[in-house]
Amino acid sequence: MDGACLELTRGVPGSSPQPDALDERTLIRAAQRGDRAAFEQLVRLYESSVLRLALQLVRSEDEARDLYQESFLKIYRSLHRFRFESRFSTWVYRVVMNVCLDHLRRTARRKESQAPESQEGRPEFFQALPEERPGLDPERTLRGKEIARRLESALARLSPRERLVFELKHYHGMKLRAIGEQCGTSEETAKNSLFRATQKLRAELKGIL
Amino acid sequence: MDCRNAEERLPLYLYDELAEAERAELDAHLAACAACAGALAELRRLHGALESRPRLEPSPDLLARCRLDFDEALDRETTGWRALIRSGFGLWPIGATFRVSTALAVLLVGFSMGWAVRQQTAPLRSPRAANINPWMGADLSGLRISGISRVTPDPQTGMVHITMDAERRLILEGSVDDPRIQQVLLYAVKNYENPGIRHDTLEVLRSRSTDPAIREALLYALRHDPNDGVRLEALQSIRELAWSPEVRAAILEALQKDTNPGVRITAINVLLEHADEAVMPALQEVAKRDSNPYVRMRCANAVRELSRGEF
Repeated sequence: MDGACLELTRGVPGSSPQPDALDERTLIRAAQRGDRAAFEQLVRLYESSVLRLALQLVRSEDEARDLYQESFLKIYRSLHRFRFESRFSTWVYRVVMNVCLDHLRRTARRKESQAPESQEGRPEFFQALPEERPGLDPERTLRGKEIARRLESALARLSPRERLVFELKHYHGMKLRAIGEQCGTSEETAKNSLFRATQKLRAELKGIL
Repeated sequence: MDCRNAEERLPLYLYDELAEAERAELDAHLAACAACAGALAELRRLHGALESRPRLEPSPDLLARCRLDFDEALDRETTGWRALIRSGFGLWPIGATFRVSTALAVLLVGFSMGWAVRQQTAPLRSPRAANINPWMGADLSGLRISGISRVTPDPQTGMVHITMDAERRLILEGSVDDPRIQQVLLYAVKNYENPGIRHDTLEVLRSRSTDPAIREALLYALRHDPNDGVRLEALQSIRELAWSPEVRAAILEALQKDTNPGVRITAINVLLEHADEAVMPALQEVAKRDSNPYVRMRCANAVRELSRGEF
């Protein structure tokens, strides 16, 4: 759990360092009494990692901003219910995970209700990237682009839970037990989600890897 | 361990999520099973591909925008109906109407008293202001400004009041002569996207238009600002500058190139005020070619006035 939190709370350059538990407890109590400045200090402690996770998940700055705001507003609204029975970071990330899962579910529902896009017409992040190594074998470059395209497409097709578990495991290095805890589920469910996600990615890239 | 069990454990193997005994068992299976070893190799290649996927890091700008959005959302949250509910209203039993009535009465009395005395007291600070760090002479050179929401001059004290958002909202207060205040104002004139703020900023800078940096900013705004109102305000400020070839060139440029007829007409008026015969050819040209008939007429009149010395 500690490892997981450390991993998630890595700050971006310029972010605030982690406070010791006593400082955090004081801030939480003050924020629970309605001290807005204390709440803002708590936000500063977690915002970088929350924003990084959101951005990596949705890959859109606008959507990441929405997730940031929704997460911290939910934390603000329910802070009075935090009873110091778990680590504050665990409680915070549980709220954030729920917000992210809800967002991914909403996005998935929207996609289902829309007509499928043609593969050719879909804008691809990787395809838009300029080729920085002009001397590279063009065949290899094309293959790299195809792998990247299929990877994005496969990631987009994972279920919201699979997507979140995969993100937390692969890119944030969290332990499955911690993922289960923070997503409000069991380690076993997290394990199954990771397995299904991996299988789907392998199937999508079969024959090209 | 059979192949199905082995395959289920491969992702856990790569992520180091297997217990020691399970790992050893899988290692033994992999050593003996080419198919599972091949699946592991494929999985490693998948990880390689995943690693080449760009990692998006939040930029300081994005973080600043998030903070600003959230700050505003929190303002609404702390002053809206949710705040009322959080403060206890929603938790009261339905039957306890007398308490609700009492609270409403207290609110009403408090509001009335506040209203009655508000004229006699110092201006109220917004709820946000209570959380704002007053500017304590910090160096602004590294400050990342994400928004300016108000620029207010105080004619009585000669001070200017700037409300802006950097990594968090700040209020700066100081004389227009203060180099750091000027730094923010000059930034706002040239870079800030809200035309209302640029306009208010020009109004503040107008009183110090003799300062070379401010003069340059006024000329810049007249030439380059995309908003008609802001260019007009810049022109009005430039009107008060000492007449010089540089000022004349900027006003002639406005007369000949500005897209807004109001700005062009003001430029004609300013040129007339200075009775500079060097502007005659430009006036004659505009009197012939301007797309707006009223501008052409005003220019023709100006040419006549200048020729007769009626100014």
